[in-house]
Amino acid sequence: MNDLQIHSKITSMEIDVLQALHQRTLDKYTAGPSIERARLFFLLLPFFDGKQWSNDIEDSAKTVAIVYAALHAHDQVEEDSPISKSQQLTVLAGDFYSGIYYQMLSNTNNIKLIQLLASGIIGVSEKKASLYEKTIMPASGVEAAAEVIETELLNIFYNFYGFSQYRAISKPALEYVHFSNQLDAYRNGVETNILRKLNHALPLPLYSERWLLDKLDASHAELTKVLDAHPMDFGLKNFMLHQITPHQHLAEQLTREG
Amino acid sequence: MEKVKLKLLYSDLRPELEMIEKELEVAVDSNSLLLNEASLHLLQAGGKRIRPVFVLLAGKFGDYNVDVMKQVAVPLELIHMASLVHDDVIDDSEMRRGQATVKAQWNNSVAMYTGDFILARALEYITVIEDPKIHDILSRTMIEVCRGEIIQIEDKFKLDQSVRDYLRRIKRKTALLISSSCELGATVSGTDKETAARLRRFGYFIGMSFQITDDILDFTSSDEELGKPAGSDFIQGNITLPVLFARKDPEIYSRLKETVGEAMTDSERRAVVEMIRNSSALKEAKAVSDLYLDKALQELAHLPKGNASKTMRKIALFIGKRKF
Repeated sequence: MNDLQIHSKITSMEIDVLQALHQRTLDKYTAGPSIERARLFFLLLPFFDGKQWSNDIEDSAKTVAIVYAALHAHDQVEEDSPISKSQQLTVLAGDFYSGIYYQMLSNTNNIKLIQLLASGIIGVSEKKASLYEKTIMPASGVEAAAEVIETELLNIFYNFYGFSQYRAISKPALEYVHFSNQLDAYRNGVETNILRKLNHALPLPLYSERWLLDKLDASHAELTKVLDAHPMDFGLKNFMLHQITPHQHLAEQLTREG
Repeated sequence: MEKVKLKLLYSDLRPELEMIEKELEVAVDSNSLLLNEASLHLLQAGGKRIRPVFVLLAGKFGDYNVDVMKQVAVPLELIHMASLVHDDVIDDSEMRRGQATVKAQWNNSVAMYTGDFILARALEYITVIEDPKIHDILSRTMIEVCRGEIIQIEDKFKLDQSVRDYLRRIKRKTALLISSSCELGATVSGTDKETAARLRRFGYFIGMSFQITDDILDFTSSDEELGKPAGSDFIQGNITLPVLFARKDPEIYSRLKETVGEAMTDSERRAVVEMIRNSSALKEAKAVSDLYLDKALQELAHLPKGNASKTMRKIALFIGKRKF
């Protein structure tokens, strides 16, 4: 499978998810559903890797993308902002998307997956809330919270359909994407919950950048190692390494900056 | 006081409701201290528990088993609770049921995650039932309730909307969840289709009457009784049935047009409330509420007689007469 075919399949799934979540008012006043292509890639990874795939599995993959969109909408709700249509509808968007995923799985009578995803959402919500607890969380705790937030629902999907062998690949890759986004936020002066907690965990807030760069190196090294040992198509591995986690090694960055 | 009176009407269900209350406490137990605290804070604020009551009462028309009924009653109350936490963020409300809201006590994000957590618990709970019909009813209801709220935000400050727009909105916003509570209670207890349909319609008519009454009380009750300023709905831009009827008077219409969406002083707010009170709008709105109440009672008249139908009737009549 070449890059174009992979991109095309991801786009097709993205369109299906957007169509399922289409709601005129929400589309007009909110940022719209957040469908991350990297996440869609990992939901489709067993398909790309030639595993037995069906319409039912693909529909379930879409519902997992919808759950992420629902939870992401609620992450966008701002603090202390005056009442605005956009803020109010962002709250409702998350609830509406949750209703859609429930209905889609109930239409295919996939009650067990609804239950498993609900348990996953509980775990994710608990980790998100933990970032607001007043106690100081060690950096390892921040990392563990990020891992659950990024991978829990995907793991549930993998386990449910017997694709758990992909967990070892998706974990470092999605962590990489996550920390890469955090680094961008840090460099742009945006304070995320993860960064706030990290700044408290480390002796100096300045250390956060270095910590993130180390994490990017470590995640990328782990991903490369796992991929080396995996009998996956070279083109697919290449796509992952260059399109999903386009890594620039820390030493390389420091050299350029220096 | 009114809540106490209402609870007395279904005192027959006290053992079951106590059991459900305990189940709710177990359901909101979380590994996160913060979510645990926020959910309990919400739960302990109390509430009428009207949705579980309707599930239980509807179940009495079929093969009633409280262990089965609670599998529906608990998640329905949890879904209602989750929507309340999120509604407080939508309305930027500081107080609910006399205590600080989750968003006021903590912040918007904690309120969002608390709502997500409680909703997920509801789904985790209800999926022990495998009957696809249950999930079809509930998932459709959840989507329609959201649509109702989305429309409510869209329709805010629109003085020229129709009565039909209003009725369609409150159907989704309030009546559907009560209607579904009745239908789900009937379905899990295995009543025949006709009984389930009648109970669904009963819940729908009661829900409509309940919401219209609520909208009337926003103008007729005192600030103290409401726990918020009278006329709050109008201030927030929610155009309710009393306002829609009042605008028929050209003088009132032009006054409402001038004030809707504008910041109002306390005396201006009181003047608007007084103007609505002195018009025929509240009487007309009450007539519509009574119409729905009559329809609910008609549905009830076709159902088998017994304690459940007696209690439902008492609740229906109470809703029609409640003062705040």
